Amino acid sequence: MGVERNMKVSINQWRLIVPVVLVVVLAIFPIIGIPLAWLLYLFLFFVYMAMANMWNLLAGYTGLTFLGPAALVGLAGYTLVIVTWNDLPFYLGIIGGGVVAAVFAALMAIPTFRMRGIYFAIGTLVVPEVLRNVFYVWKPIPGDFIGGGAGYMIKGIEGLSLTEFYWLALTIGIVSIIVMRVILRSKLGLGLAAIRDSDRAAASSGVDVFRSKLYAFVIAAFVMGAAGAICFVYQGYIAPVGAFNIRWLMTCLLATVIGGIGTEEGPIVGTIIVVFLHFLLARYGELSLLIQGVILVVIMLLMPGGIVGLIRRKTRDYRSLLQLATRR
Amino acid sequence: MNMEVLAGLSRPIIMGVLLGGLYALIALGLSMVFGVMKLINVAHGDLMIFSAYFAYALMTAWGIDPILSLTMGIPLWFGLGFAIQKYVMSRAFGISMEAPLIIAFGISLILQSLAQIIWSPYSRGLTAPYALGGISLGITTVPRTYLLSFIAALVVMLVLREFLRRSYLGKAIVAASQDKRGAELVGINTGRVYAFAFAIAMATTAIAGVFFGLTFPFTPTSGVGFLVIAFGVIIIGGLGSMLGTFIGGIVLGLTQTLSGHFLGAAWQMLFVYLIVFVVLAVRPQGIFGR
Repeated sequence: MGVERNMKVSINQWRLIVPVVLVVVLAIFPIIGIPLAWLLYLFLFFVYMAMANMWNLLAGYTGLTFLGPAALVGLAGYTLVIVTWNDLPFYLGIIGGGVVAAVFAALMAIPTFRMRGIYFAIGTLVVPEVLRNVFYVWKPIPGDFIGGGAGYMIKGIEGLSLTEFYWLALTIGIVSIIVMRVILRSKLGLGLAAIRDSDRAAASSGVDVFRSKLYAFVIAAFVMGAAGAICFVYQGYIAPVGAFNIRWLMTCLLATVIGGIGTEEGPIVGTIIVVFLHFLLARYGELSLLIQGVILVVIMLLMPGGIVGLIRRKTRDYRSLLQLATRR
Repeated sequence: MNMEVLAGLSRPIIMGVLLGGLYALIALGLSMVFGVMKLINVAHGDLMIFSAYFAYALMTAWGIDPILSLTMGIPLWFGLGFAIQKYVMSRAFGISMEAPLIIAFGISLILQSLAQIIWSPYSRGLTAPYALGGISLGITTVPRTYLLSFIAALVVMLVLREFLRRSYLGKAIVAASQDKRGAELVGINTGRVYAFAFAIAMATTAIAGVFFGLTFPFTPTSGVGFLVIAFGVIIIGGLGSMLGTFIGGIVLGLTQTLSGHFLGAAWQMLFVYLIVFVVLAVRPQGIFGR
């Protein structure tokens, strides 16, 4: 008995120690001077992972096939512009971007949660299209050669280097993982899973469907917005075409589907592959997008559970084989 | 004063109605796939744009007239639609609710990047000698392309309607869309019927692409916007009614030209998307829907 308890404690300790060590190692990467290219890969990995994690929370755990991440990312980017052009520090812009995205998501929830399934998907696909047109016409900062289709530079980031951007990205990546873990192990997470499987059954067992979905949507929007703003801090420039681009959705979708939709590790594994592909195929330009599209279709057809789903199935087979063998 | 305003309005109204015909034509394929297979083909807009590019390629390479090139385009798109449904979508339905959606999204990406690789991201357009300039309609002159698209939309819709009402295959498609099991019980091979329905939808999409290309310039990424418009048309018009689809198209066409007339061209698409969004939020089953 005593030995067993000791073992359990040590496993629990390991579960805490491993992530902490991993985070520390990742955090000191820029200080120990790893190549800049590596920092850039990791920067994109963390930002995309944060978005993919949140998309997975919506599509994989809440049953909201949200096709409008570009709306949140773009709005957060423009919030960053407004904040930095008013001579406020850029980190306020990142937080503000998250807040604006969250508020917008809450407003968007009122009309779009009335739509179900495919209607919700298309309804949310329209939103970035509308916003792109709005930002072609409306200039949040008036001026002659700025705004509209010409876009804005991000101010107040002159002294920053990739190291700072990297730490920002690392932070949002960790936040997204923690948010997923906490939500999925809470009462909210159980309610969400019930809603995804059947919202009527969930409602009749006392889950407040609208409120649960709203919480998930607003939290996801905050993280997506902040991650998007960090991306624009790095880019240093924003215009309607890039801000409300369908590629934001594609990144979320690709990472989640490759890794395994509706699994906690899925988006993390998927993002590694997406970033890898991103750089592997970078010099082929448009061919890269083509290959990503083909991968999306093939993975969905041949292994709908993604990589994590496949591994889980294999290990389950292996375990049951092992059980059969050992039990005799 | 009032007369002047009315005279000024006659042009945007007529343009809007004609444009509505084109929008209805674009929506036809989406409506058919949605009605029969309950699938929103998010690659619809890109398949339409790709048809315009196909006609563009034939036009620039051999000087083939865009409308004449449909003799090749229609069979090609018919076959493409048949293959997509038979080999890809039919399997996707068995996987999960969102699988067909994600796969269609993947197809949309593939088409967009293919168009960008082959024809570059720059704006292209289709031209034909008879489609240039304007034509007088009594009170006002409209571009000939608008009138051509409107006529094409009417013809395609009438042909499709008669096909669905009179031919065996047409009746089988209607039966499968109303009650899949019932259709199977009376000996209809729904898998095959679905493939034919997708193929016919793609054939109308090929036609829509060419007339779209004659009317507007297009880029590889134009498709998404027209997916939204086509979806708006069938939401406003409801499923399974040609007249509804036509009305849906005209509502959006008028929205575009009138908001362009009153507020300037920069606002017109914004209002079209807003109308689609509002209708979705208020009546997801459609205004004329059952």
